[in-house]
Amino acid sequence: MNPVILWLNRLAAFASTPAVVGIFLSGAAIYLIAEWRIRFLAQIAQYFFIGILFARIFDTRLELALLKIMVGWLISGAFLISAMNRDESVRGQGLQMQWSSNVPFRILSLLTMTVVALLGAQRYVLPFIPADLALACYLLVVLALLFIGTEEEHPVLGGVGILNLLAALDLFYSAQDPGLLITGMLVIVNLLVGLAISYITVAEVAE
Amino acid sequence: MTLPGSLFVIGLPIALAGVLMLLRRWTALMAWSAAAAMSFLGVLVTTATLNVAYPIGPLNLYLGRPFYLLGRVLVIEPADRLPLAFIYFTAAGLFVIAWRLLPHSNFFPIGLVMVALLGAVLMVHQVVYAALLVEMAAILAVFPLHESGGRAHGGLRYIAYVTLALPGLMITQLLLELFAIFPADMGLLQTSTVLLGISFAILLGAVPFQSWLSTVATDGSPPVVTFLFTVHLGTVWFMLLAYLQSYAWLGRQPLFEPLFTALGLLMMIVGGALAASQRRMGRLVGYAILVDNGAMFVALGTRQTAGLALTLMMLLARPVALGLMTIGLDGLRQLGGGDDSATAMQGMAWSAPWRTVAFLVGGVAMAGFPLSLGFAARWGLYRLMARQDLFQALLALSGSAGVMMGLVGVIRTLLVPASTDAKPRAPLAEDPVVLVLIIVLIGATLALGLFPQGASRVALEMAESFTFFAP
Repeated sequence: MNPVILWLNRLAAFASTPAVVGIFLSGAAIYLIAEWRIRFLAQIAQYFFIGILFARIFDTRLELALLKIMVGWLISGAFLISAMNRDESVRGQGLQMQWSSNVPFRILSLLTMTVVALLGAQRYVLPFIPADLALACYLLVVLALLFIGTEEEHPVLGGVGILNLLAALDLFYSAQDPGLLITGMLVIVNLLVGLAISYITVAEVAE
Repeated sequence: MTLPGSLFVIGLPIALAGVLMLLRRWTALMAWSAAAAMSFLGVLVTTATLNVAYPIGPLNLYLGRPFYLLGRVLVIEPADRLPLAFIYFTAAGLFVIAWRLLPHSNFFPIGLVMVALLGAVLMVHQVVYAALLVEMAAILAVFPLHESGGRAHGGLRYIAYVTLALPGLMITQLLLELFAIFPADMGLLQTSTVLLGISFAILLGAVPFQSWLSTVATDGSPPVVTFLFTVHLGTVWFMLLAYLQSYAWLGRQPLFEPLFTALGLLMMIVGGALAASQRRMGRLVGYAILVDNGAMFVALGTRQTAGLALTLMMLLARPVALGLMTIGLDGLRQLGGGDDSATAMQGMAWSAPWRTVAFLVGGVAMAGFPLSLGFAARWGLYRLMARQDLFQALLALSGSAGVMMGLVGVIRTLLVPASTDAKPRAPLAEDPVVLVLIIVLIGATLALGLFPQGASRVALEMAESFTFFAP
């Protein structure tokens, strides 16, 4: 077996719950920090944690989990390039910690939505899926709603939200029906979303 | 060697799209070859016999033969022929309109790929694959929608809404598979009904999910917006009808009639109220679609084949009306420097009289007023509703009147005489081809309004292929 896949398999065996926490923390970083290079790193981390959860689902075909991670990282890179392309002023500057606008409000909404996700995972148990995966699905959905609902100058944050929603759906659906055709189609949808959001980020002329 | 029909009608547009991507310099070639391919496919699915071999070189094309992909089947069935013909002919017409409006655009190749995907939606049976194909087509639409730059919130919002509809459709498939194993568990059916209902409400822009309609219409390129509101939304409507056909229990639920009627009326009233106070032309188009979709829901809620035929007639009426509005809006926006607000549009009718007439006639047809095919369909709907409840019929009429009021407001803005101290505006140099297109479309609108029998026959024939309302 490929050593990367073997390592992913070992990690998935004991790191599922930390991966769920990792998904939440990386999502929170994307939501609260405005600097795109930090958001990029958080997105990379988030896809890594999502990949660990996929490794549990595709336990006999770990290369599919690896594919999900690679696609996620590819899209993250495209988002970073598009965002940097748009904000020409930050080129050549060092990495600076820059909080998003209305941080107190964002923290409050994040906490509220997290409680909603935790209660949802307890009260409305998703069928045929382990509890930690179900919690990850709920967290990804609430993060997606927060990202999509936030009015930012950049369309990229909305794009990250759409991808989080797709990741939640992918986790849930793949746990029920880990078919190759569905997996392939969802990968194509993810890539298309990445491409489309990058395109409109660059094409849009800010008013 | 045998070539399945479904593979041919999906493969041809995709192959042509690949070629057209390389020929973007020649707009006329792109537009006419795309329109010719679509017309050919339209004629093929309408006239060809499903189980007869048509030789194409070394291959034998069987239109009705299924194509298998990893165990999933794609097949053209008799009931799919008219819906497929609708999307092919509409796409062909819009490619011709876009010829002069979108030079060197990626709309032609991407539009072809979208048509291929939407055709596959009608040919595949499982909800989950249809949902993913609709999502892919929606994402692709963003590229031509915002090709000319400007504010791109419409595209983002559209992708977000279509993605929000995806979980409901995909989970419904799982629930239906579970129901096949546990037929006594009626909770599975109830949950799948709710999920399916919410997903289609989002996809069709029903209240309270209507915001994407106006945002897309405001931000997007007018011909692509028309493509979305006719070909894409048309496919979603046919998808809904196909599910009602496949899962007959959906239509038999006691809540079906009140739910569809209430939702449709709500859409008509809200759309009419928003349209009446609207002076921005793009948004007015979005609200007119909201009212039209509402009327289609109301017609479906009558639970009669006649109502279903009226739903389809409204769908058939949409491309011509919206095509005219598109041409008008495109020219007027061009004069306003991309802005279609009331301030930018003041007095534009004097600089672009033909575009104003196109917007006016298209708008009247979209509002369902005479003389247009839309009027024939809406009048039929009001009569059908009045037999059961006159008050509801009047509410539906008020929605259409709201669109008409909005249109009157916009036309008044366009006709305001320019003030003496304002800088004189150069008139729009009208392209003779666009002028011919406007005249042809106005002629078609009036002809269909005066003689709606042909279109109503087609709508009735389509309606009869769906048997879920049959006693």
